[in-house]
Amino acid sequence: MPQVLRVIYSAFRMAMLHWIADPQWVIPNIIAPFIFTAVALTLFQGSTGPFGLYAVLGGGMMGMWGNTLYSSGYAIEFEKWQGTLEEVIAAPSKLMHVIAGRSVSNALFGLVNMFAVLAIAALGFKIQLGIANPLLFTVSLVLTLLSVSALGLIFASAFVLSRSALTLTNGLEIPLYIISGSMFPVALLPFWIHPAAYILGPTWGIDAIRLATSQEYASQSFWNGMNWNTAILLDLTIMSLITLGYAALATVLFKMVETRARTQGTLVEA
Amino acid sequence: MPETKIQLGSASGKAIVAEHLGKVFNVAKGMLRRTKTQIMAVKDVSFEVGYGELFGLVGPNGAGKTTTIKMLTTMLIPTSGRATVLGYDVQKQVTQVRERIGIVLGGERGLYTRVNAVDNLRYFADLYGVPVNVRDKRIKELLTFMGLWDRARDRVETYSKGMKQRLHLARGLINDPELIFMDEPTIGLDPEIARDTRELIQQLVNKGKTVLLTTHYMFEADELCKRVAIIRNGEIVALDTPSGLKKYVRDASVVEVEGFGITDKEVAKFKETRDVLSVSADLGESKQVLRIQTPKGSEIISEVQEILKNSRIYDIKIKEPTLEDAYLRLVTT
Repeated sequence: MPQVLRVIYSAFRMAMLHWIADPQWVIPNIIAPFIFTAVALTLFQGSTGPFGLYAVLGGGMMGMWGNTLYSSGYAIEFEKWQGTLEEVIAAPSKLMHVIAGRSVSNALFGLVNMFAVLAIAALGFKIQLGIANPLLFTVSLVLTLLSVSALGLIFASAFVLSRSALTLTNGLEIPLYIISGSMFPVALLPFWIHPAAYILGPTWGIDAIRLATSQEYASQSFWNGMNWNTAILLDLTIMSLITLGYAALATVLFKMVETRARTQGTLVEA
Repeated sequence: MPETKIQLGSASGKAIVAEHLGKVFNVAKGMLRRTKTQIMAVKDVSFEVGYGELFGLVGPNGAGKTTTIKMLTTMLIPTSGRATVLGYDVQKQVTQVRERIGIVLGGERGLYTRVNAVDNLRYFADLYGVPVNVRDKRIKELLTFMGLWDRARDRVETYSKGMKQRLHLARGLINDPELIFMDEPTIGLDPEIARDTRELIQQLVNKGKTVLLTTHYMFEADELCKRVAIIRNGEIVALDTPSGLKKYVRDASVVEVEGFGITDKEVAKFKETRDVLSVSADLGESKQVLRIQTPKGSEIISEVQEILKNSRIYDIKIKEPTLEDAYLRLVTT
């Protein structure tokens, strides 16, 4: 295995070990989405249209977002609290690869939400959620997960570079749920918000996931009227390009983080 | 980048070469009116360490020991000067330096306490690129060497201080480094565990490793180090073998007073006494010990008794100066 992948995998594994060791994850990952989904499904019970789809997938996406914003944002801070940041930086591997592993694990763990929400919807509310194209659904989910992880890298470095990043993140949580289309389709939002929505990789991922889940959604997709498979592939291509852009930006930011830390001696500040 | 070693002038064949290293930190203060001040942590530090040597860097808190180690281990970028570690420039060949050194920082932090020892070591082995076919064998060897194998699968949060320190040592050795930096590895440890740790350090040197050690404990430096540098206010004020450093206090003997009820005021009086070169006081609750350096030896005893007339004196001994006395002289005068 190439060294970069080995470092990412090892950091991913370490993060998973910590998740398992700390049962607090149940609150944001199971209880919170359960409440959200239960409220949404109760509100829309009896409505026509793909409301169940929005509630279930929206709840899942919120989990992925939430984990990314907080867990990935705090990934470097976590190392500081543990007192391990110095040791990690002193190793020959790049800090960005270590945090990338953590970020992937956070986004993946966010998926637990989606499965929890699916189970709640199916068992508690008898929602039928057939997936129209399981293969494209899976691919979309994995690529969205990577896109969210790449965003996590940017949050992680921003947290270290600016103390106001925490305030910004807190303030951004709900707007991001809305702008990315997690709660309802971007098409329903005012036109002037659309540019902000479409520079977010996950916006395209959510569009692809919904398209792969149900053809009913096609009329609300950005690609309304286009061939179903082509629309999904376009979503995924755009998201992949944006993700690469995030990774490039994160590389620059991480270089700044490390240089600043090594210049100012801020590796041990908690 | 090709692995070209950068040789510093006279420094060829040395494991560490530091030339006029300096580090200044910029500190911002104030909320509305932010003012920037500069703190000079290290002014001018130069020294060399040979291969296979156990070199000590000692000094009071804030003297610049840790900052020096962090510059040499690439964790801090020097503001001035330059250094090579194992022939590689610490500023320009960061990865090459990191691959070849081990770092052991003192204290209980720096470990993932929620996971077990094996997972801690496996993680760092991966970060250091230890080949997978070597990794698991080395983890077992290191944990066995450190006496931790029986508890290898227990969470680190259940370990004692001494066990955590041994795990720190194992982590510092996971990449089989040629050179190990140890920053106060025995700080806060029980005497017995500290002794075991010192034995482990000595075994590493016997195996051919080079060690740079910082410590607060002079007896530790005396026992372990081939050469010792004393650092004060960011500058090296003396560098020699432990016996060479003791020559700084060859002109003096030490009057050691054991007593009770000795006050800070009385200690201050000794410092003002003409024939007293330095005084150190360990004013514990049950037993107090004063060490007075003086060229007068036993001639000063009557003066000691006079100053301490309101305290209880259990014993007065005239002793040969130790490395600690040399250190005290160098850092207080």
